Parts: sequence; structure tokens; C-alpha cells
Amino acid sequence: MKNWSRHATTSALRTAVLLGALAASIAGAQSAGNTARASDKPVPRVNGKPNLSGTWIPGSTLLLFEGEESVAAARAYDTAHGRAAPPAPEPPPYQPDAEKQRQYYLGRKGIDDPMARCLLSGVPRIMFRPLPFEIVQLPNRVIILYEIHHAFRIIPTDGTPHPDDAEPSYLGDSIARWDGDTLVVDVTAFNDKSWLQGVGTVHSEQLRVTERYTRDTFETIRYEVTIEDPATLTKPWHMQDTMRLRPNERLREYECIESNEDIGRFEELLKTSDFK
Amino acid sequence: MSPRGQVAVLALAMLAAPAAFAHHSFAAGYDGEQQVTLTGKVAKVDWANPHVHFTIDVTGDDGKVTPWRFEGYPTNMLVRQGWKRDETLKIGDTVTVFGWRARSEPNLGAARWVTWPDGHKLAAGPPAGTGGR
Repeated sequence: MKNWSRHATTSALRTAVLLGALAASIAGAQSAGNTARASDKPVPRVNGKPNLSGTWIPGSTLLLFEGEESVAAARAYDTAHGRAAPPAPEPPPYQPDAEKQRQYYLGRKGIDDPMARCLLSGVPRIMFRPLPFEIVQLPNRVIILYEIHHAFRIIPTDGTPHPDDAEPSYLGDSIARWDGDTLVVDVTAFNDKSWLQGVGTVHSEQLRVTERYTRDTFETIRYEVTIEDPATLTKPWHMQDTMRLRPNERLREYECIESNEDIGRFEELLKTSDFK
Repeated sequence: MSPRGQVAVLALAMLAAPAAFAHHSFAAGYDGEQQVTLTGKVAKVDWANPHVHFTIDVTGDDGKVTPWRFEGYPTNMLVRQGWKRDETLKIGDTVTVFGWRARSEPNLGAARWVTWPDGHKLAAGPPAGTGGR
């Protein structure tokens, strides 16, 4: 009994040591794997849906935001994950009058840009600024906080309809639903004071924007936009970008007026003949 | 990276940048055809959003000192590219600035690169014709 007990104790110890070593080995392998293949983390999920929460930067602005190395890193990541680059931008499919307006603003070199005067960018333009935004995904809503303009969008995902009393505004009113693993946001109730994306990209208050957010890898969201405006466009205008996760990033204060000399400078320039 | 390499990287970035339109138009305030490269001593730095501004005193061949003022990225973008207020660009530093002339004032420019005497170089503002400002 004593011998058996000693034997059992020894066996148990050996087993424990072996199990411990195995566990350490597995943990080590996982750790090494995490280090070597950190980018292969699965897309996080919450309440059965992809979790979009995090701080993101538009991939098209990486050069401006972080410089050349981040552009190269993004390319390598996309190649490793078989991700295609977003398609080339489409020109706005404007009706003749709207195209005439765009050409007018282009001829004035963009000096009329509402954003140069620190006015809010609309949707989707605010999504393409070279400053980060944070998505907070809650059970009944998604909140997007933007560093630029210190703007926010609160987007119900629980079936809440657009409000009856929405006033036309720069960012409009957003509601969302899930289409499988894609968050689909419907935005209406815009004013006509912002540009859609690019110099002179005017629109009317009939604007309707549909955004599709698909977290296709751990580090990326495929962001697709469809713009409809029967008063200015001949057909829907599509654009796409890759939103890139910035896990160590945080939103910072961004005061748009303090050193914005463009407002006064542009007023002076407009008195000259170049812009008429 | 060589200038040719920088051009190549920029070209690739632009190709892959369906949405990299201007924050607001570079062309409204600056002339992308009028490059300037100037060396001078840093006299002032205004570290603020949405544009950093700094002044360098440029000494001409005749000994006359001309202050040149440059505009660049928002400080929020500079800090993400490694700049630190009061440390990166200090009063009295001798630097070479590459950029483009303003349309509105003779001694104002949009800064693209700042180079220090030891050769290190940092982006101070966006390429001509793009945004981020």
C-alpha cells in the first residue's frame, strides 16, 4: 500500500509534470503563433454579429496619416489575406446642371469648399478624412465618433425608424440593420450645404446614402457606399474604401478654427480675378 | 528613400486611393507649379490645428534676412508621424524646407518636407494637389 501510494504519488507527479510541460508547450506555440500570425486573429463577434468596435482610419489616407511605411504594411496585409484593392473611383454620374456646377467649383480651384471653413463634412465625405474615427457597437445602436469636427453619429440598429421631425442637416439621420454579417446604414435628411466627396460634388436635399460595413478581416472593414440623388445624379454613385484598425490609436482633440487662416485668406483671394 | 522611390510610393498610394481627395483644395491657396526650397533658422512655431505654421529666417546672398512662413499638416497628423511639440522643430534649428508658394502672399508657402543638417527628413505637409490639411 505504501509502495503503491508512493508509486501513485510518483505517477501523479510525473503526469502533472508532463501535463504541465504539454500545457506550457501548447501555450508557447500559441504565443509564438500569435506573435508570428497576429494578423490572422479571427474577426471578433458580439451578439452573433461581427464587432465593428475599434478605432479606424480610411486606408486611402494612410500616406497622409502615417506616411509611406503604413501604406506598404497595408499592401502586405491585403496580399497575405487575398484582399483586393478597392476599385478605382468613379466620376460622379452627374446630370448636366450638376456637372456644370462641379466644373464651376473646380475652375475656382476648390476655394468654395465648405470644409475649408470648418463646416461639417457630410456622409460619406466625413468617412474619408485622414483622421481616425471610433466605432462603438452596442446591442441596440452603433455610435461613430469622429476626430475631425468632433462629430458623432448615433445609429439605431434595433428597428427604430427615421424620426418624423428630422431637420435637414450635414450628417443627416442614420438608421441601420444587419444584412448577414454586413451592417447596412441608411442615411437621409441631409441639407444641401456639403460636398459628397471631392471638389464641387454638390447634392440636393433629396440625397440618400447607403453605407455597408463589412469587417472582412481582423484588421479591416470593407466600406461600400451608394449615393442616390434624383435631383443631381443620373444613376447611383458608388465608392469604396478599406477602413483599417488602429488598436493603439486614440481620438485626440481637433480644433478646426484656431489656426485656420484659410477663411480670411480665401476671402482676400476671392477679391482677385483668379477665382471669378 | 530616394526621390524616385518617394515618387513611386506616392504614385502607388494614389492609385490605391479611391477616396484620397482633398480635405480642402491645395490649389485654392497654393500654386503646385511654384516649388520653393529654402534654408533658414527657425524663428517661430505655431503648433495648432488645423494647420501647423512655422517661420524660418532666410539669409540671402546680400546678407538680407527674409522671414518665410510655412503652413503644414494639422498637429494631430504630425504627432502620428513622429513629431513632438517643442522637440522636433526648435527655435534656432537650421532647416531646409521644400514646398510650394502661396497665391496670396509672397513669403508664404505650403511645406512638404523639412530636412535637418544631419540629413533626417520629415513630412511636414501633404503633397501638392492632395488633401489632409
